[in-house]
Amino acid sequence: MNSISNLEYVDKIILSITKDIKKESIGEYQVGYEVNQADVHQLLSSLKLEGWKQLSYLSAIDWPEENKFEVVYVLFNWDKPIYVQIRAKINRDNPSMNSIISIFPGAKYYERETHEFFGIAFPGNPEYKKQLILEQWDDIPPLRKDFDPSAYSAKKFPSREYPDDFSVKDKDNQVLEKNAKRKKRVKKLRTGGKK
Amino acid sequence: MLSTKYTVREKLSKKEIDRKWWEVGDYFRRNSLWLLMYCTGCCAIELPPSMTSAYDMERLGMGPMATPRQADILLVSGYLSLKTLRRLIYTYEQMSEPRYVIALGSCPINGGIYHDSHAVINQLEQYIPVDTYVAGCMPNPESVLNGFVDLMEGIKNKKANGWKKYHKNNDWYKENQLHALGEVVIHDEFHQ
Amino acid sequence: MKEMKLFLGPQHPGMHGNASVHMFVEGDIIKRSYLLPGMLHRGFEKQMERKLWVNNIALIPRVCVPEPDINEMAFALATENLLKLEIPERAHWIRMIILELARISTHLMAYGGLGGPTGNYTLMYHAHVDRNLILDIFEKITGARVYHQYIVIGGVRQDLPEGIEQDIKEFIDDLESRLSEYRDLGIDNASIVKRIYHTILLPEEVVWELGVTGIGMRSATNKPYDLRKVTPYARYDQVEFEVPISNYSDARARLDIKIKEIQQSIIIIRQCLDKMPEGEVRVKPGRGQSMRWTVPKGYVYSPIESSRGEFGYYMVSNGGTTPWRVGVRGASYPQGLLGIEKYLPGTRIDDAALWVDTMGICSPEIDR
Repeated sequence: MNSISNLEYVDKIILSITKDIKKESIGEYQVGYEVNQADVHQLLSSLKLEGWKQLSYLSAIDWPEENKFEVVYVLFNWDKPIYVQIRAKINRDNPSMNSIISIFPGAKYYERETHEFFGIAFPGNPEYKKQLILEQWDDIPPLRKDFDPSAYSAKKFPSREYPDDFSVKDKDNQVLEKNAKRKKRVKKLRTGGKK
Repeated sequence: MLSTKYTVREKLSKKEIDRKWWEVGDYFRRNSLWLLMYCTGCCAIELPPSMTSAYDMERLGMGPMATPRQADILLVSGYLSLKTLRRLIYTYEQMSEPRYVIALGSCPINGGIYHDSHAVINQLEQYIPVDTYVAGCMPNPESVLNGFVDLMEGIKNKKANGWKKYHKNNDWYKENQLHALGEVVIHDEFHQ
Repeated sequence: MKEMKLFLGPQHPGMHGNASVHMFVEGDIIKRSYLLPGMLHRGFEKQMERKLWVNNIALIPRVCVPEPDINEMAFALATENLLKLEIPERAHWIRMIILELARISTHLMAYGGLGGPTGNYTLMYHAHVDRNLILDIFEKITGARVYHQYIVIGGVRQDLPEGIEQDIKEFIDDLESRLSEYRDLGIDNASIVKRIYHTILLPEEVVWELGVTGIGMRSATNKPYDLRKVTPYARYDQVEFEVPISNYSDARARLDIKIKEIQQSIIIIRQCLDKMPEGEVRVKPGRGQSMRWTVPKGYVYSPIESSRGEFGYYMVSNGGTTPWRVGVRGASYPQGLLGIEKYLPGTRIDDAALWVDTMGICSPEIDR
């Protein structure tokens, strides 16, 4: 056994590069760091040298209130089993993050997908602008928070219209009347009798 | 007792002869339907059980077919994203007539669980005519087989005539396709 | 020789799922190839942001169709991690039984899928009949054949029905006695030996370059890299099992590992049935009505070992009633997209379908 635990080992690597981090430990096998955008590449390459050879996940999170995107990298080391999350916030207007395919070649398609769904540019990745999953998309990138899939669906794909008494079998539509009465009562209760 | 006297029968018109031949054709067609294996969505996972020994589709005289041109049925198994719909319309137009469409699952009927998704269409019958629907998420093999029997009944009663509708209302279908897809023709590196 | 364009899929009997491999070929040899995904895109990650935590349980099994239970498990683990929720002991063991049954069914389907590209349809029929028996067991436990929605936040939906232990035991005994039959029909079958021996090799460097996990990784690196052993979740640290490995990764070795993993899953299920304690199976994750349950702020990545490799959910909560962001890491992402682009060129046309089958490429989880 090592004299220091794996989590402390990760800490040592990260702190040898930058002190400007926000750390949070998530469970027994996982740790997260929020770092500056400039440090990401150096951190990833030194973690790779230390054995975090597998890029498990790459994506982004949208924070419209702060006007930021957060890019996430999850790395894993099979011999010292710790998942390391590296997160960096970037500007939401004209978002751009240098590509990491020189460090992890497997990131190529993750970056293409992130560009497609968030609109983040990845200079350094030769094909990041090519469409991967969507085809002939004509709106803002769909995973941004200000995109409303419901409105898009209503605009493009007409939904089926059912008549009011579609599921009601009795002739006098008693069920419909009952439903209307109940709705009225619920409304009254909710507003406390006021309008 | 019937008279043995020979009477000259009225000559059948061309239309009547055609009708009789179609009836004969439909009889044979509905008892040997070829199914196009195009797994468009998740309901395709229940097709192998209904094809293999447990439920055995072949006792209905149905079998899987690899190419669209030799197939009778286009089985739409589940939701259709826009990208699949383009390929589906290609495939449907390649099939030789008469051609029938069966839609499995709730999603082709009204969108199902993906009714507000930005990538999944809500009603299949806006884009190509559908002869039989099998509802459920997902329909189990019994109801899939039941759907096939329904289609056979439909062919017998001349109700499964979606392919005629596609000819008759072709403009309407094309207009809907263009509204949802923008362009039906695919442009990418491979298709140039 | 002239370069030709060739499709494999989306409508093709040898293709698994609705995806397309585009190939540029010269004679028999592939010169350039890439996967065209996206035909099963439903916008899951957006849909989940718009649904409540409880409602998401109904949505997520649809992410990966052949093996839906791993989605429920990864989602439940991630949410429980954010909530810091301890679930009852019995629920852990029931979850393991469900997951291992699902692993067997997916392996059977992938192993039987070898019938498509090689024309060995007898194998496919045998495998699907056995898979159907597993679906029947699932129907008894959960009420549904394919999408179970059984593993929920805080445990499992309900306790096992009476007498199901006997059914499971009978089934696994029966399957175990016939595993040698599967070997004879599949990997030791003289009619397809030439198609699977020494074809589509996967060297160790390629594994690290692409980031391949699961059977592909274990067959190439000769090390027991299995998340059930490396970072045990549920109660996998309390059962004894082996991780099958090999040092030469051709199509045959990967299929061989699949059969060996079925054997190990049977061993795990037996231990679970013996060791399972009595008691509660579910705790409520929040107070009050389920529509108002909230989950504390946090970022979590919850990986589990699926039949194809590391499968994980990346979840972010901002303390609200719906998830803020959910990302799905499909297990077949690296070998499906980058593997086909970088590694398939140089092999023969007929190997493409075998690569898709033996590496377990599942298109719905690539597209989401």
